[in-house]
Amino acid sequence: MRWRTPSVSLGPPALLAVGLAAAILPPLPLAFGGAQPCDVPEELMQIDDKLPHLAERLRAGQPIRIVAIGGASTTGLAAGSSDLAYPHRLQEILVRWYPTSSIAVVNRGVPRQTAQQMLERFPTDVIPEDPVLVIWEAGTTDAVRGVGVDDFAATLQSGIDELKARAVDVMLIDMQFSHSTATVIDFERYLNALHRVADVNDVNVFPRFEMMRYWSEQNVFNFDGVAKDERANLAARVYECIAIKLADVIRVALR
Amino acid sequence: MPASSRDLRIDFFRGLALIFIFIDHIPENILSYFTVQAVQFFDAAEVFIFISGYTAAFVYGQTLVSQGQLYATARILGRAWQLYVAHIFLFVIFVAEVSYTVTTFNNPMYNDEMRVGDFLEEPHIAIVKALLLEFQPTFLDILPLYILLLVIFPVVLFGLRWQPLAVLLPSLLLYLAVQATNMSVPAYPQGRVWYFNPLAWQFLFIAGAALGFAGRRHPGWSKLARAALPLAVSITAVGFLIKLSWTIHGVWDPFPGFFLKELWPVNKNNLSPVRLIPFFAAVAVVAAVVPPDWATLSSPAARPLVLCGQQSLEIFCLGILLSALGHFVLSEYESGVAIQLLVNLAGIFAMCLTARMLDWYKTMGRMPMQHSAVPSSGPGNRLGA
Repeated sequence: MRWRTPSVSLGPPALLAVGLAAAILPPLPLAFGGAQPCDVPEELMQIDDKLPHLAERLRAGQPIRIVAIGGASTTGLAAGSSDLAYPHRLQEILVRWYPTSSIAVVNRGVPRQTAQQMLERFPTDVIPEDPVLVIWEAGTTDAVRGVGVDDFAATLQSGIDELKARAVDVMLIDMQFSHSTATVIDFERYLNALHRVADVNDVNVFPRFEMMRYWSEQNVFNFDGVAKDERANLAARVYECIAIKLADVIRVALR
Repeated sequence: MPASSRDLRIDFFRGLALIFIFIDHIPENILSYFTVQAVQFFDAAEVFIFISGYTAAFVYGQTLVSQGQLYATARILGRAWQLYVAHIFLFVIFVAEVSYTVTTFNNPMYNDEMRVGDFLEEPHIAIVKALLLEFQPTFLDILPLYILLLVIFPVVLFGLRWQPLAVLLPSLLLYLAVQATNMSVPAYPQGRVWYFNPLAWQFLFIAGAALGFAGRRHPGWSKLARAALPLAVSITAVGFLIKLSWTIHGVWDPFPGFFLKELWPVNKNNLSPVRLIPFFAAVAVVAAVVPPDWATLSSPAARPLVLCGQQSLEIFCLGILLSALGHFVLSEYESGVAIQLLVNLAGIFAMCLTARMLDWYKTMGRMPMQHSAVPSSGPGNRLGA
């Protein structure tokens, strides 16, 4: 069972083609400005569903609160500080783009939680913030712990139902990609479940897994052979790229 | 057909299921678009468990009739022990892989999530839980089910001999109770449950066993199957169309997934009726379409699959190892379509070759000394459990 968005399912061959092109063309001038190191193939940036409530608030120039709930990669511990985590970077970008509304992205990451544990935090951590958009990053701990895939899907479903009932827009973020983890942890079933839940509910998924895989294959970010104190910087740059791409996706969904 | 000769369909489809399990267990494998799960609500796991029940009843049923209850029980438990040892062997290999990867890991973005916690933090408990079959890492979850089913199988077999309905009805009721109440069997770590809920999956195994034990002697069964054939064909066709539309939808979003919102997710842990009913329908259709003496089944082309099905335990374990290896190769080096096909082909070849060697080895072992010069191929070698 491998259900994902078309772009993602067609990922490997398409990425291979991009990889071939990259092998022929000169490498991206990563450190020299110019081309964006965060660039990903067009197909990973496809967005089908709108964010109506967020769009409405923006039009009206009303204050906006976005809650980012998730695990360790939401807290941003690997980069050393929550100011370097993706939610804060996202807030910086959105504030620049939409100066007429006051925008806050609230970080509600707690490391090593399953989707179920996050759902249980909704009443205390999410709902009281009165968000207009919830960005829900889930699946890593579920896959590591081997939570039942159907249970995982059902949990996401209840979370989405609850948020929709409260007129809150939802976006899901799938797992991080890493070479070595991919060989020990079976992410695929959880990725498929997450993408399928999003599909069934007309909710957008930010395909972080495929993006990070692309960056890894393109050697944009490579943790092998990097000194320990350099790794936090590298993590911060990955989080920044995640935030940039996420902001792009949100902008497209607002059109 | 002599009572002791094997139904080659059973071996063939079990062999096919083992190949499908190997293919489906390699994540993001392009060939998995061509296995049964791409076009039906059930997958190779149902085929494997059902046929295992059928074969167990067929083989140990003969032992029961000819050599008595005590010996039949001893042989079944001996088989369960074999499966248990195989499972622990696979588990040790899994532990080696995980410990190696986790301890050599240097990516800070994952350190926190990767502390699998439960296993490497308390190996003393995890090992005991594995020995108790409560700790079931991904893909090491079918064998525990099979072991448990074999341990209770002597009782099932005596019951089937006495009065099949006395076994089938309670089994069905338990299955229905699971569907109604969602009860499950706890596993390790805390909060997990058996991936293949034995309270539900037992019904599939016992249904296969009932068919394998009594099926041939009760013409009523085949009459029933024939009467239900039109219904079975419709269910199979509808299931095929719906699941195929999902598969296409998964690859190409604009294509609609029929009844996707209504039917998904289809619960595998509890063997949802959405999986079970199309499976039984498919069994009825296949049984009607493929005759037991179909020449293709004994042709050289089908022989590798038949042999895989006959050496199912070894080939199953090998398939699990090979899919882990294949996954490693694809994610570590290169995952292009050509490499994917190569990895699949290499794995299938290794499985078939191993089955062939096991068949040769066991046949030689069974042969009386004075006949050891006789060529080892021939229909007689397919006999035996």
